[in-house]
Amino acid sequence: MSVGTVRWRAVRPFAICGALGLGAWILFADRVAKHAVESVGTTLIGASVEIRRLHLDLPHGRVEVRGLTVASPFAALQNLLEADELVADVDPLPLLEKKVVIDRLAAKGLRFGTPRQTDGRTLGQSDGVRGQVERWTAQLHVPVLQFATGKIDVSQLDLSTLSTPAAAQSLAAQVDSVRTAWNGGLQGLGVAATVDSAKQMTDRLRGAKPTDLGLLGDARRTLDQVKRTRAGLAGLERGVHAGTELLQAGVAGLAAARQRDYATARALLRLPTLDAPQIGAALFGSEATERFRRALYWAELGRRYMPPGLRPSATPGPQRTRRAGVTARFPRERAYPAFLLRAAELSFELGGGGGAPRTYAAHLAGLTSDPTLYGRATTLEASAPGVRAAALVDHVRPTPRDTAAASVSGVTLSGFALPSLPIRLEPGQGTVSLSLALVGDSVQARWGMRSERVHWVRDSATARSQLGDIVWRVVSGVSTVDVSASLGGTLARPRLAVGSNLDGVLAQRIRALAGEASAGAERQLRARVDSLAERQAAPVRAQVATLTTDVTQRLSGQQALLDQAQRALEQRLRELTTIPGVRLP
Amino acid sequence: MTLILKLLQSLFSALHSEGTPGQIAAGIALGSILGLTPLVNLHNVIVFGLIVLLNVSLPGAMLGFALFIPVGFLLDPVFDRIGYTLLLETPALTPLWTRLYNVPVVPLTNFNNSVVLGSFVFAVAFSSPLFFLSQWAVTRYRATVGERVRQSKLYKLISASKLYDIYRLFRPGP
Repeated sequence: MSVGTVRWRAVRPFAICGALGLGAWILFADRVAKHAVESVGTTLIGASVEIRRLHLDLPHGRVEVRGLTVASPFAALQNLLEADELVADVDPLPLLEKKVVIDRLAAKGLRFGTPRQTDGRTLGQSDGVRGQVERWTAQLHVPVLQFATGKIDVSQLDLSTLSTPAAAQSLAAQVDSVRTAWNGGLQGLGVAATVDSAKQMTDRLRGAKPTDLGLLGDARRTLDQVKRTRAGLAGLERGVHAGTELLQAGVAGLAAARQRDYATARALLRLPTLDAPQIGAALFGSEATERFRRALYWAELGRRYMPPGLRPSATPGPQRTRRAGVTARFPRERAYPAFLLRAAELSFELGGGGGAPRTYAAHLAGLTSDPTLYGRATTLEASAPGVRAAALVDHVRPTPRDTAAASVSGVTLSGFALPSLPIRLEPGQGTVSLSLALVGDSVQARWGMRSERVHWVRDSATARSQLGDIVWRVVSGVSTVDVSASLGGTLARPRLAVGSNLDGVLAQRIRALAGEASAGAERQLRARVDSLAERQAAPVRAQVATLTTDVTQRLSGQQALLDQAQRALEQRLRELTTIPGVRLP
Repeated sequence: MTLILKLLQSLFSALHSEGTPGQIAAGIALGSILGLTPLVNLHNVIVFGLIVLLNVSLPGAMLGFALFIPVGFLLDPVFDRIGYTLLLETPALTPLWTRLYNVPVVPLTNFNNSVVLGSFVFAVAFSSPLFFLSQWAVTRYRATVGERVRQSKLYKLISASKLYDIYRLFRPGP
């Protein structure tokens, strides 16, 4: 039985099925396109892109988007922008190549930084461009405003780190050793026995005659013994004197160790070392870094999705149940770019100073995924009373050049908290400016903020601190804030410098109060060191004093006994050996 | 449970259909392409068209599709690697991709996505051995236990279901 290759009877159902599919696509094209735009936008920006309604009008090459919301990739509960309406004139032919070429886009009702209910960020901090920018930000050194608290934490002052206890222990051992040596020396001399022997001899001589030559010889030998013992005692006295000096030097060493302990404890104090520029960086460095980080994020995103040259490039694939993978692009000369927005007219709103938001206009041209194919740089211009903004993204040449500058004045600036301080700055109406020039790896950026009617808010919920009090005393009387931050160097080695009009006055005030705080803190630490060290040193000092007094007294007593015994013996010998009128040799 | 039932229905329907082992094997091979590659892509419309219009076993295709969907998910990292290598790490192929990328309609297949290309290449390469393996397996099955299964209550239960009626509409003809 032969089997046909084609199932002819299935052709009609298949055709019907195809027609139904086509009909379904026409019916659901808007929804499909909406989902596609949301998916691509979310992947590209790294934050949720939501569209309330999208309508495709392919016969007229028109796409209408209403209610566009793009979440901020930086702040959890903030939108990057919201747009009431976007109308795009799309070139239909490139769509067959899955390329989007928009001849003209009109965006109305753009609003920036509006609040949102949920966190719209889709990327972790270590992902993609965001991770790259986070790592870059980590290189920027922003000092922390610190200050001596004047309090010493007892647990911080460890006994084992102090010198005095060790020196006291050593001296105590020395005292014990000296005492043993001196006692041994005294016992070895046998002073008491010599004195007793001399006394007995003196007594024996009382009844003796001058002719008793044997006894006289014994008496002379005893006298020699007394003299030798005296000489030994004198030697021991010299040794005691030297030993006493050594012990006194040990006691003086305890005082020197105490001074070292003061220095050790002083190192535990966090004394202020900030000068004026560092104070500026400590107060406004984080805010400036945040601005630069955001600017760099967009620049890096542009470099990733708008690479120079015609080499194949890869970007993350669309989000789906299966793995996203990467989607590669293969640009070719004289072909359409994957994405091109020839011109866009943007109408946006910015909050006025306490009044209704004001509407501004901007013009964007040449936004493309393949700048080399398009051959022209992307430009953005916005000019209106109080607003000046311009950007030039030139990725046409091999070395990309991204420059942007914006200045907004007369609008309410968003406030921010000063790092590690319970103080928040509400700048109110003022001027803010940001410029960025990124040429290859070299970066030059400036951020400035000036307001003459700032409002300072103290966070009463946070625990009070001396530093917070000092800064509050200084800033609460200041109504004008002028901050300027600059970023230079390369992306691999960026340099941040921040200054403000508060730096000088705050530095002066901190220096003055730092003196008082330091003195108070030092008094406390000396008392603490004294209490810890004295516990060990005082008994040793007492031991030294007792020992030296005791040994001196004992030596004097022994010396007196020997002197007395010698004198008595010599006196008796003289009486026996002296013949009246005769002087013996 | 429904999925398992459908899989069983597909399995029995395929194995006991009037189709030849070759038709069933071709159905399984084409169905495996649907299962291995991300479904919503233009190339799968073509594969689906081939399954419907060519005289291959529809239950076989359903069986292949159902069996290889989980395999596709499991092998996605491999497909990604294959696709990435072919797209971006094989300079010899770059002119081909560049040409295809700039030809109307072809980019709509998403061939330039690493997972789509990797899975498609894998599925096409795998379909030939799968075809011959399936053909041999069906032949062996029918020659050994096929008749006993046909007489079983389970098979009769499945044959009586509505799904079987739908299948009959598209069963491979002589």
